[in-house]
Order: sequence, then C-alpha cells, then structure tokens
Amino acid sequence: MNIENTQAQMRKGVLEYCILSILNNGEAYPSEIIEQLKQGKLIVVEGTLYPLLTRLKNAELLSYRWEESTSGPPRKYYQLTDKGKKFLEELATTWDDLVAAVEITRKPTKK
Amino acid sequence: MNQTLTINISGIVFHIEVDAYEALKVYLSTIKSYFNNSEEREEIMLDIEARVTEIFAEAQNDKNQVIVMADVNKVIAIMGEPEQYLTDEEEEIPTQKTHRKREDKKLFRDPDDRVLGGVASGLGAYIGLDTVWVRLFFVAAFFMGFGILTYIILWIVMPEAKTTAEKLKMRGEPINIKNIGKAFESEAQKVGEKLQNVDTNKFSSKAGTVLENIVMAIASFFTAVFNIFGKVLGIAFLFVGTFMLVVLLALLFGSTAIFSISNDGVYSMASQDFFNLIFINQDQFYLASIAVFLLIGVPVIGLIFLSIRMLFKVRSHYSVGLTFVGLLVVGTILAFMVGTRLAVEMSAEEEFEKTEIISPDFNTYVIKTNITEMPGQGVLEDKFTSISIEGDMMYQRFVELSVERSKNDSMMITTNFSSHGKSPKDALNKAKAINYVHQLNDSILFFPDYLATNKEHKIRGQQVEITVYLPLYQSIYLDKSTKELIYDIDNFTNTYDKKMVGRKWVMLEQGLTCLDCNDIEGITSKELEELKALKMVETKIE
Repeated sequence: MNIENTQAQMRKGVLEYCILSILNNGEAYPSEIIEQLKQGKLIVVEGTLYPLLTRLKNAELLSYRWEESTSGPPRKYYQLTDKGKKFLEELATTWDDLVAAVEITRKPTKK
Repeated sequence: MNQTLTINISGIVFHIEVDAYEALKVYLSTIKSYFNNSEEREEIMLDIEARVTEIFAEAQNDKNQVIVMADVNKVIAIMGEPEQYLTDEEEEIPTQKTHRKREDKKLFRDPDDRVLGGVASGLGAYIGLDTVWVRLFFVAAFFMGFGILTYIILWIVMPEAKTTAEKLKMRGEPINIKNIGKAFESEAQKVGEKLQNVDTNKFSSKAGTVLENIVMAIASFFTAVFNIFGKVLGIAFLFVGTFMLVVLLALLFGSTAIFSISNDGVYSMASQDFFNLIFINQDQFYLASIAVFLLIGVPVIGLIFLSIRMLFKVRSHYSVGLTFVGLLVVGTILAFMVGTRLAVEMSAEEEFEKTEIISPDFNTYVIKTNITEMPGQGVLEDKFTSISIEGDMMYQRFVELSVERSKNDSMMITTNFSSHGKSPKDALNKAKAINYVHQLNDSILFFPDYLATNKEHKIRGQQVEITVYLPLYQSIYLDKSTKELIYDIDNFTNTYDKKMVGRKWVMLEQGLTCLDCNDIEGITSKELEELKALKMVETKIE
C-alpha cells in the first residue's frame, strides 16, 4: 500500500464535491477555483481541474459564460445549474453521513 | 544566439525558442493522447491552451519578450506532468495504461545512425538489440538471398524519426522535459561532428540522399497504393492464405491424393505414402513433416496474420514477428537435419548389367511397351515419372530404352539396373532387388515402362536402362507406345525421339537410318535389299 496513492484517491473523491461547493458561493473561472482548492491542499497542479470541469459541464451540472480578460485570452466563468444544485445537495448529505461514519469508527468502542 | 519561432495559442502571438517550442508541443500532444473521448478532448485542450497562454502572458515583460525553456518548465510545474491529468475514469482501466506504455515504443528509422536508411538502427532500438547485431543479420540475410528485399520493404514501411518526440518514441524513452533536453544536447553534438566531417563525407552523403529520394518516392507510391488496395489485398491474402493452409495440412497429414496444376502439367501425389517411400523411418518422416510445415506453413500463417492486420488494423506485438522468424529457423534446421540424413542414404550408387543374345530371325523386330496404367494406387504422377504402390510392391516409371550398333553380327539386349544407397553394398542390393523383365514373342519385343521393387527398399533413384544392339542391316519398328520410353537414340538424321516412333529403322554403316520414310531422309526397302546383296558379294570375294 502506497500512502500517497491512498491520499490522492481520498482527495479525488472529495474533489467534485468541493468544486460544486465553491461554485455554490458564486460563479468563478478556473484559476479562482484552483486557488481555493490549493489552499485546502486538494490539488497540487492545475491540469487535474480542466478535464473535471469539462465533464461536470457535459453532465449538465455546470454551465459557463465567456468574459474578456485584460491579461490574456477570454475566460470561462462557471456556475452551478439547477441540476448541479440538486446534485450538490445530495453530495452534501452523503458527505455528512460519511463524516458521521468516520467519527463513529474513530471513537473507541465502549464495552 | 538562439533561433525563435512565432506561435499562436488561443489567438495570442508569442515568440518562442525552438527547444522550448519542441518541449511545449510534446507536452500538449502527450496530454492530448491521454484523453480518449475526442469531443471532450478538444474542449479540454482549448481550456488548457488558454491557461498556458495566461501563464506565458504573466511571464512576459519589456525585457522578456521570448518564451524560453524555463517558461515551459514553469507551465508544467503549475499544470502538472501529463500523468497527473488523469482523473479516476482513466485510471479505472489499468490494462489501458499498460497498453499505452507498450505503444510508447514505435518503429522508426533512425536518421542519426545509419548506413543506408537507418533501418537496422531503428529495428535495433525497437527490439532492444545493439545495432551491430541487426546489421550483421542483414549482411548474412543478404548472402542468403532475402536480405535486400527485406531491407527495402522495411525501409518503405518504417517511417523516419524526424522530430525529437519521434526519436524518443523510437527508443521507448518516456517523453518528458528531461529527456527532450538530453536528446537536444546529443543532437547539437552530432551537428557539430557533422560540420567537422563535412568535406570527407560530401560525396557519400550526396549519394545517400539521391538514393534516399528514390526510395522515398517509391515508398510514398507504395503507401498510396497500399492505402487504396490495402483492404482488397487483405481479403485476397486471407483467402489465398487460408486455402494454402488447408492444402498444406491435407498434403502433410491426409492420405488422399491432392491434385494441382503446375507448369509441368497436371500433377498429383498422395503425400503420406510418398514420404513413407522416401524416409527410412517414422521419426525422419515426422521430422520432415514438421520441417515442411514450418517452412511453408509459417509463412502462410504469417500471410493470414498480415491480412488480418491489414483488414482490421490490429496492432501486433513485435514478439509475434520474432516468433515467426524463430519457427522459420527451427524449420530450416530440421530440414537440414533430415536432408543430410537423406543425402547419406543416397550417397552411393551401384549398377549391374544383364545381357541377352537374340538370333536375328526376323527382318524387322517390333519394339513395344504397355500403354495401360501402372498397377496399384498412384502416389506421384507427373509428366516425367509416376510412382504407384500395390500391397508391398512399389512401381516406378524410371525405364529408358536406347538403340545402338552391335559390335558383332548378333543382336543383343542389355539391361542395366542401378540404384542409390547408403553404401555401395546397399546400393547394389537395391539394384539387384529391381524386378524388371522384358518379353520376346516371335518378332515382338515387349518392354514394360515401369520397374518394380519391394516397398521396403524405398525410393532410392532405382533405374533401368535398356540398350538394344542391332547388327548391320537389322531393322526394327518403334511402336508408337514407346514415345515416352525411348531416350536419345542416335541416328543418322538426328531425328528427335518423339518423331522416331511409328517408323521402321535400319542399322547401316552410317548409323540408324529411317526405312521407307517419306518425310525423313532414309532408304527404301529396295535400296536396302541391294545393299544387302552387295555386302554378300563382298564377303564372298573375300
């Protein structure tokens, strides 16, 4: 068992939930999303994000609009769709369940 | 001083150094190759390129107007190595990953290490063998006859490794920035060396390029033809290959006769029986069967394999080709072993002769042979010979008849029996075992056109040669049935064997001469009588 591998797997599972959560606070473009994810040490490199965003968008959980940028090419601003919001709610429930489950397993069992 | 290129990413123009450009190109195309879904891929690539542009734009200012290697490295540091782009979906299929790794190594010609087209060095890199050994193989193959063709085909089929990325793929090194840097350094070194050697190499390199251009032209022509007719050829190969395989298997392991039409006419053989008549024991027979199967069957299977590849564009591992080559080598060795054993079996030759004196009671003897089929079941039949078996007996059509002048006044028939064998004694035994009898009924001389031996003596080149010795003025009639039996009979008019049959011939001082022939120069019966009378008078005077 490789510890780094397991850590990466755990992070990846949570990643979608986090991206949707970030966008639930308002629309954002990739670099902004990355900034927040990096703070939480969820991703190390930016490359991981782009395929994920495209897939979430293709799954109709996200939509985007173009906005001109002063420092480069136009940027894609992503926002949650209605479907994405429902999806996020369900994920939130799952997350709470998971946290609860982890808490239970971490406590020493009383006999 | 460094050369720069101008590139356009996401609608923004940058100046970029050549090595940085090369690295960026490899980086982007590697990422691209990691995504399977083409629709998603385009969109993801656009997003990534847009981000790359942003990073480049941030790095530029009034002093720094050119993108250098450091900038590309920075992009990779921020965006991550191509492997890190993989999300769960790709990683769920581990087989795909190993498959991709295998494909990372590709067959290219190496333009940097070449004698002719870089085929040997490319092959060497691909199979992980030192180029020297591959070249030695080609030199050996050249003397064995198939080297040139193999080389030309490979030259045509293998593309040249032109870019750094292709060269890395050729060697199977992972395409990352470190390796590209390494490859660039060695390339720069080579350019330096080439500049130093430019005078001495002027002529040879020129010759190389002319030859190369011709080959390139041929290659592109064949590629075009192959693209158009590839499928058609594939189907044809599949059909022919399967047919040949069936025929071969039936030949080797079937007992029924196979018929085929070759240049020599219709030809048939029952292979198992035939091989049993040649080989001394079952082991040799099996070895020979395996050798034949490997030497003919393996290329046929290769053909089928190739056609399947052409039809379905299946990629194959190089070990498949190596296996084919290995089987061919084994086949050659087996064939050599069996062949040597057989050569020993046939090494000695012995003969003996029987002579019969016939009183010349008749003016004209008729020479005839059988026109019926040989007894038993045919094993091998073609224009020149046929072999058949019946019970324990084997019949071979190896009988020849000739006519010559007798040294005295008597008429003689000599029958010469000969055979090969592993020793003179063995050969003589086999010659003596030949059962061949001719018959004389009044004026009719009957010679069978086949000889008989016991099957256990095998086919060892047994032969019967009959010579009919004629005294002066003795005449014979060659029956039409003897057309295939007579062999190169000397005669006065040098008439061809096939034309000699169906005529009367008489032995004169000048040699065998046609008697009462209209279309061949000869003599008439009347003239013959006069000659005979004259001779009688001469003898009396003496």
